[in-house]
Amino acid sequence: MAMAIIFKAVNYMYQPNTPFEQQALENISVEIPTGSYTALIGHTGSGKSTFLQHLNGLLRPTSGVIQVGKQAITPETKNKQLGELRKHVGIVFQFPEAQLFEETVIKDIAFAPKNFGKSEEEAETIARRMAQQVGLDDELLSKSPFELSGGQMRRVAIAGILAMEPEILVLDEPTAGLDPQGRLEMMEMFKRLKEEQNLTVVLVTHQMDDVAKYADNVIVLEKGKLIASGTPSEIFAQPNWLVEHHLALPKAGEFALEFEKKTGYKFSTLPLTEVSLAQQIASLLHGGGVHHG
Amino acid sequence: MGKVLLGRYVPGDSIVHRMDPRAKLILSFFFIVIIFLANNWQSYALLFALTIGSILAAKVNFAFFIKGVRPLIWLILFTVLLQIFFSSGGTVFWRWGPFNLSYYGLINGAYVFCRFVLIIFMSTLLTLTTAPLEIADALEKLMMPLKKIKVPVYEISLMLSIALRFVPTLMDETAKIMNAQRSRGVNFGEGSIMQQIKAVVPLLVPLFVSSFNRAEDLATAMEARGYRGGEGRTKYRVHYWQTGDTVGCAVFVAVLIILLFLRHW
Ligand SMILES: Nc1ncnc2c1ncn2[C@@H]1O[C@H](COP(=O)(O)OP(=O)(O)OP(=O)(O)O)[C@@H](O)[C@H]1O
Ligand SMILES: [Mg+2]
Repeated sequence: MAMAIIFKAVNYMYQPNTPFEQQALENISVEIPTGSYTALIGHTGSGKSTFLQHLNGLLRPTSGVIQVGKQAITPETKNKQLGELRKHVGIVFQFPEAQLFEETVIKDIAFAPKNFGKSEEEAETIARRMAQQVGLDDELLSKSPFELSGGQMRRVAIAGILAMEPEILVLDEPTAGLDPQGRLEMMEMFKRLKEEQNLTVVLVTHQMDDVAKYADNVIVLEKGKLIASGTPSEIFAQPNWLVEHHLALPKAGEFALEFEKKTGYKFSTLPLTEVSLAQQIASLLHGGGVHHG
Repeated sequence: MGKVLLGRYVPGDSIVHRMDPRAKLILSFFFIVIIFLANNWQSYALLFALTIGSILAAKVNFAFFIKGVRPLIWLILFTVLLQIFFSSGGTVFWRWGPFNLSYYGLINGAYVFCRFVLIIFMSTLLTLTTAPLEIADALEKLMMPLKKIKVPVYEISLMLSIALRFVPTLMDETAKIMNAQRSRGVNFGEGSIMQQIKAVVPLLVPLFVSSFNRAEDLATAMEARGYRGGEGRTKYRVHYWQTGDTVGCAVFVAVLIILLFLRHW
């Protein structure tokens, strides 16, 4: 089932009609194509987490429509109508380890598939597979999730969402607080899963390196408004614009800019990932075209 | 979340906001006590006038007060109906088994309703215009005399301020965990009683775990910063009793006197 996500003139206000009211999303119209790897970026408080909670109807818009596959989410949509949608949209929240509660790791991972109608055995089979995917040792599976380290708990929580076998995988800063090795492993795992199962991935991140490396589509929010969307190379094309909006280039891009400044050489397209940076510099060295300026 | 208004502070700059929290606390209790002296419509009218006057002086949107009543409306209606159907006296309009609808019943029902509304309005006014920590501070000061009979006043007030401080945090956390579990297919507030009870487990366990962790962190942080009991601690917020507070008390006492007068009228 193809499940494109389309936002049409979506507004969301927290606590409307009180002195605490706050417009968190303002007139957002954007499409997230099926099978894309979309990065959602923006300064802290720009509305990214609010945006994500609309993808499976945890929040309903104050006005506007969100179309996810066949399901339309409007201000009037009832909770009961959303069960089917929630099966297909797996959300890994910011600091998802807060959602662990079962006696054992394996039971916690199997919780969602059981809720969505899988039998006990099926759910456990999926859970074991997902535990392996996220790199949890077998001996951990029968422990209590509260005996694990922070990083291990994170993996359990992520496995618990993957076990839903969603078609749309939504990740809210999934690697925040992990060690560099764990971070890389996680990101590579998401990429592998996406390719193997043809998922649509929506990733919220402050890591521009990850945006450049993994995403093929970028949405930029600022104070609840959509200020840009496009491919990473389009978004990262204007370094000054990025700085104005509290964003940054990926490390490779910054290096390339500095390189241009120091050498006077101009890259035909600004490299955004380490790999493309290395390739361009390598071909340059072989071509022997660096002039000191 | 965010629907609970009792205990919600709305910052502002009015006479009522600026009053000494001790005065507000005393007057709120005082008001609740004198409500029970009211026994005719004139006295209720007086109390309503006092309440509305206080609300106007606080410059808080009236909608807040209506919202404050809403969560309690079933309790209120239940009590009012009990009053109406089970008290007797005066003309009886209708009778069925133990129920009877009498003149006094109706009057009593109306009075009980007024009492509820007045108490809710006044306590909502207290919490809307006084930051929770100020209320805790004021309680501590007012309870000080109890120290003589070995009541652990500092500890009680510390517990109270910590509890108050973490109510919003806990509510946010509850909302977050509910969202996470909803995404994992839990339906809160739907299905049979058994299903609903089962749905609470994935919510309560994480809440308990995080509360215990937070309590431990807080204790460590307090010790690291040299906390060793309330004895001899100075206060960051110091309260001053001002003319406004005396005037406020005078108004309430005047109301009491008029009330006593109306009672025997
Ligand atoms: N439950 C809530 N009640 C009221 N306001 C909220 C609530 N949650 C978020 N907000 C407000 O909405 C705005 C957007 O918040 P949101 O959490 O979506 O930001 P974000 O982009 O995810 O930020 P971060 O990068 O820090 O996670 C913020 O200004 C925030 O204060
Ligand atoms: Mg966020």
